[in-house]
Amino acid sequence: MALLAVVHAAFLLALLSFRTYQSEVLSEPLPLTPESLEVSINSTQQCLYLQWRVHNLTNHQELKMVFQIEISRIETSNVIWVENYSTPVTWNQVLHWSWESKLPLECVTHFVRIRSRVDDASIPELRSWSNWSSWEEVDAQKSLGQDPLVVFPINKLVEEGSNVTICYVSRSPESNISCAMEGVPIHGERLSPNVFAFILNNVRFIRETGTNIYCVSPSNMSGTILFVSKVLEEPKDFSCETQDLKSLNCTWDPGHDTTLQYQPSQRYTLFESFSGKTKLCEHKKWCHWQVAPDSQETYNLTLIAENQLRRRSVSIFFNLTHRVHPMKPFNVFLKNISATNATMTWKVHPVGNYSTLLCQVALHGEGKVIQQHNVSVKVKGQYFLSELEPVTEYVTRVRCAASNHFWKWSEWTGQTFTTLEAAPSVAPDVWRNVKTVLGSHIVTLFWRPLSKSHAHGKILFYNVVIENLDNPSSVKLLSIPAPANGTELTLDQCSYQIHVTANNSVGTSPASIIVISRDPGNKNVEEGRIQGTEDGFSLSWKPQSGDVIGYVVDWSPQDPRCQLQWKNLGPNTTSTVIRSDAFRPGIRYNFRIYEISTERIAYLLERKTGYSQELAPSENPQVAVSNLTSHSFTLSWKDYSTDSQPGFIQGYHVYLKPKVEQCHPGFEKVALSDDSVCCQYKIDNPEQKTFVVENLQPESFYEFLVTPYTSVGEGPHDTFTKVTIPDEYSHVLMRIILPMSFCLVLLMVLCYLTSQWMKDKCYPDIPDPYKSSVLSLIKYKENHHPTIMNVNDCVPDAIEVVNKLEGSRIQFLGARKSLTEMEFTKPAYLYLLPTENYSGPGPCICFENFTYNQAASDSGSCGHVPVPLKTPPSQLALLTSPENLLKSLEQNYVNSSGESPAGENSLNYVSQLASPMSGDKESLPTNPPGPALCSEYRTQMAVSLGHASPSPSENSSLSLVTLLDQGEHRR
Amino acid sequence: MRAQLPRRVLLSLVLRLLFLKPVVTGSCSGDDQELLRQLQHQVDFMKDSSRLLDPYMHIQGLDVPGLKEHCQERPGVFPRENALHELSRRGFLQTLNAKLGHVLHRLTILQQNLPKVQDFGTVKRYIYGIRNNIYCLAQLLPGSSETAEPTQAGTEDSPPPPPASDTFQSKLQGCQFLRGYHRFMHSVGRVFHKWRESPSRSRSRRHSPHRALRKGAHRMQPSMRGKRLMPRGQLSQ
Repeated sequence: MALLAVVHAAFLLALLSFRTYQSEVLSEPLPLTPESLEVSINSTQQCLYLQWRVHNLTNHQELKMVFQIEISRIETSNVIWVENYSTPVTWNQVLHWSWESKLPLECVTHFVRIRSRVDDASIPELRSWSNWSSWEEVDAQKSLGQDPLVVFPINKLVEEGSNVTICYVSRSPESNISCAMEGVPIHGERLSPNVFAFILNNVRFIRETGTNIYCVSPSNMSGTILFVSKVLEEPKDFSCETQDLKSLNCTWDPGHDTTLQYQPSQRYTLFESFSGKTKLCEHKKWCHWQVAPDSQETYNLTLIAENQLRRRSVSIFFNLTHRVHPMKPFNVFLKNISATNATMTWKVHPVGNYSTLLCQVALHGEGKVIQQHNVSVKVKGQYFLSELEPVTEYVTRVRCAASNHFWKWSEWTGQTFTTLEAAPSVAPDVWRNVKTVLGSHIVTLFWRPLSKSHAHGKILFYNVVIENLDNPSSVKLLSIPAPANGTELTLDQCSYQIHVTANNSVGTSPASIIVISRDPGNKNVEEGRIQGTEDGFSLSWKPQSGDVIGYVVDWSPQDPRCQLQWKNLGPNTTSTVIRSDAFRPGIRYNFRIYEISTERIAYLLERKTGYSQELAPSENPQVAVSNLTSHSFTLSWKDYSTDSQPGFIQGYHVYLKPKVEQCHPGFEKVALSDDSVCCQYKIDNPEQKTFVVENLQPESFYEFLVTPYTSVGEGPHDTFTKVTIPDEYSHVLMRIILPMSFCLVLLMVLCYLTSQWMKDKCYPDIPDPYKSSVLSLIKYKENHHPTIMNVNDCVPDAIEVVNKLEGSRIQFLGARKSLTEMEFTKPAYLYLLPTENYSGPGPCICFENFTYNQAASDSGSCGHVPVPLKTPPSQLALLTSPENLLKSLEQNYVNSSGESPAGENSLNYVSQLASPMSGDKESLPTNPPGPALCSEYRTQMAVSLGHASPSPSENSSLSLVTLLDQGEHRR
Repeated sequence: MRAQLPRRVLLSLVLRLLFLKPVVTGSCSGDDQELLRQLQHQVDFMKDSSRLLDPYMHIQGLDVPGLKEHCQERPGVFPRENALHELSRRGFLQTLNAKLGHVLHRLTILQQNLPKVQDFGTVKRYIYGIRNNIYCLAQLLPGSSETAEPTQAGTEDSPPPPPASDTFQSKLQGCQFLRGYHRFMHSVGRVFHKWRESPSRSRSRRHSPHRALRKGAHRMQPSMRGKRLMPRGQLSQ
């Protein structure tokens, strides 16, 4: 029973609840659930595309609905994205929604589901969420084949600075797969056993061909390209203008180029909002826009720049007539060009019906704008250029712009022209230098070439008119061709006025006048010194007469080859600074200050000399040493010129290197640059050019140096001169040695004379045969004809031995004496040998001479030498043959004969000394002397050359056989 | 800077190439040794990887460790050297001509993808010169009155295919292709070298170049005797 009651109660409850449910269903509308959900993938954009429908909508019913979409990754429980999508929904509408995945969709499986509710307050009963749709699985890997290793996404395009997620999918779970971007390893996280993801933050642009990302396993390699584009910039400086009101030219600065390989380039589009026209531009920096023929005046142009990732735009609003940029003028001409004027003409391009242009004319000379003028022009323009300089090249240019609404000037159009010549406008600047030589004035005129602005053309010549003021009728004209800048005149003692003019092809310049008076004015003005500075030489003077028309300061370097320079000064000037780039340090400049009287006569006021910068002397004087004694010497450098030095010479320093440490009185001890110590003597007077060094030690060694000094410093310490001081006794020794030497020489002369005397006494000379008394005897005996023995007269078949008596040396031929009778004497023998040509008897003379036969006589060889018959025939023939004899004479005595003057009255002494047969002299007594061999005897004979033989060289017959001793040959 | 020197060298060589007789005069030289010498020179020039491969790798960013190791020649794209040696002279010339046609086609694609790389255009003009010399050399083979016609620049190309979806693989494939091309030209150079050093060379100098080539051709591929050399566009590998 209880069970029945429980069942009944339950039935009632179930029935109640069924009735409640049934009442709700019947009273509320059906839920609007999304159906037909389809999910697709766009790998390029890494997007999931969803499309679905909502059923249960009545026709023409539109409800605002909210769809909630859930996206899970790897598994359905891993929801990574939930989004509510609100949209109005109509009947049978296909709804779309997309979602971009950060992680490449190919990396893992995605799941999608959706539910909805009505977002309409009028239907509150449908505002609850519908049921979820079933999960839709999205697995992109299924369609990718079976590559063992793949990297996703493929060909990803991102902007620079983006964060990118990539992954690799390996078909087999390999652990040692490494990935790198541009060679740099990257690290990620594992999503699944086969999938690894990497997040690349803030990627940068590397190259147009993309950034290489790759993964490598031991067996495979795969990669992808990440195309990183630069961020598309908004165009800058967007501007449009027109030249002819027919078209617009728009320009802009595109900024970075975002072009990548395999990717479409950025593109630009023009959009005009009033007309609604659009134009795709062909270029990245400019674009043409055709102006509508209906003369639209106002434009609102928008420039749109876009690429695959971004879109930028910029707009401008303008009136067409306010953007007129005219084309540059043309047909620019110059006409009526004179020395100072010209007329310029040009044309302009018309700007539609827009009439007047404002043109600007600019005149350029020497690179800068001289004149600038504005001219209103419709079609043709013209401007008169004035105040031009003659013979000057000008550039004139013109540009134009809209006169009513100025926008931009056109480009310049120009023309170059040159004005004509004109007469020189100013007188040449003339100065003079006057010298008086032998009563004449040598006037050197100088003038400076006129500047280009004054010459007004090429100066062809200068005219110099010399007018004698003392004789006005005497005028002389000199024409000096350019480019001479001076001339020299010789004038007498009269006063002259000189006119100098410059001339070009057009005319003559005004004259420059100077007057040369009788007194040239070069009075003796004492020269003063002046010190130059870096700014130049500052000069001042005192006016001497109040009536002057100006002053002139001229100057020149010390070098006479340099030209005179001058400066003109006004009458109220009493000082000036002479500046010149030509001033050089170490060069002396001489200045003269003249005042110019009203008569144009120059009077010398002052003379100055100075250096722009003094230097130390570069050379030392040549010093001569004199008066060298044992205690002093004198130094002199008188040839040293103080005027031609690089500074005013203030004196000299005499350096002396002593052998002792103490310096001489007057010297100071100084240290030289080489750290050596020296004694210095200072000479304050530059004209003192001698110095006596005293108190020196005899027989010692000194070194000295003389160097000048200026206000800057002294000369170089280059070379010291060495001086050796003699000892103090040397002069005494000289006083002794000289007389002794004289006496010695005198003694030698005496000895010589004495020796001559002794020689004459002890060893007298050979007597002269002509002075011999025998000649007088012969003369007396033979008809008083003095004669000398003729060789031909000798009888060769006999020999006479003449005994010489003491006190008388005369022997007579034919006087025979026995040998025994000659014991007390030491006779000499003469053999006269027979000759074939002997023609008759004649006197033979035999001499004896102890001077020459001393040795022979001492040894007894002066005896009769027997001649053995065994004498070798050859030798015999040699001796007996006249020819051989002659040859012997020629060979052995040709010098003697040659040296003997030939003459009738001359005598020759011939002698014979050695004989190979001399050893047989003991046989003389037993063997009378034969006629053949005389060679064994020392003979001496006098031969009359006039009769016998003039010269051995002559081939005359000789009957006298003699052998002469060379060493004893005398004359 | 790196590409300037090869570019300059390329330019000078192209100028020299332009003065080759076949190109300028439109007629072939009958001197087979001169043609062989020119071909040898051209092929030796093209085997240098600095002409194409190195600039390509640099501009593609493939010259980094980890990538350049994978820029290796893919087998089967170009014939191996031993296969070239086994070909008859006519067959060799046909193969070379065909392969150069493929290379021209591929270079055209690379040139369009990389318009800033001027080396592609230069090398293409150079290849035209090589093919003209091949044509002239083939004229010296027997039965060559209707062989391949000389190549004119610009007539070779067909429209390039669209870029590969996987640009990375496309880069690598281009790299591998160029490496294979340089290797192939190296092998071709060795074949030409062998031709020049073959005994027929001396005989040909003493007698006739036609005879020498004919003799070599008969020895290597007798079956080619009497066959017509196909026009250049129909040459097959």
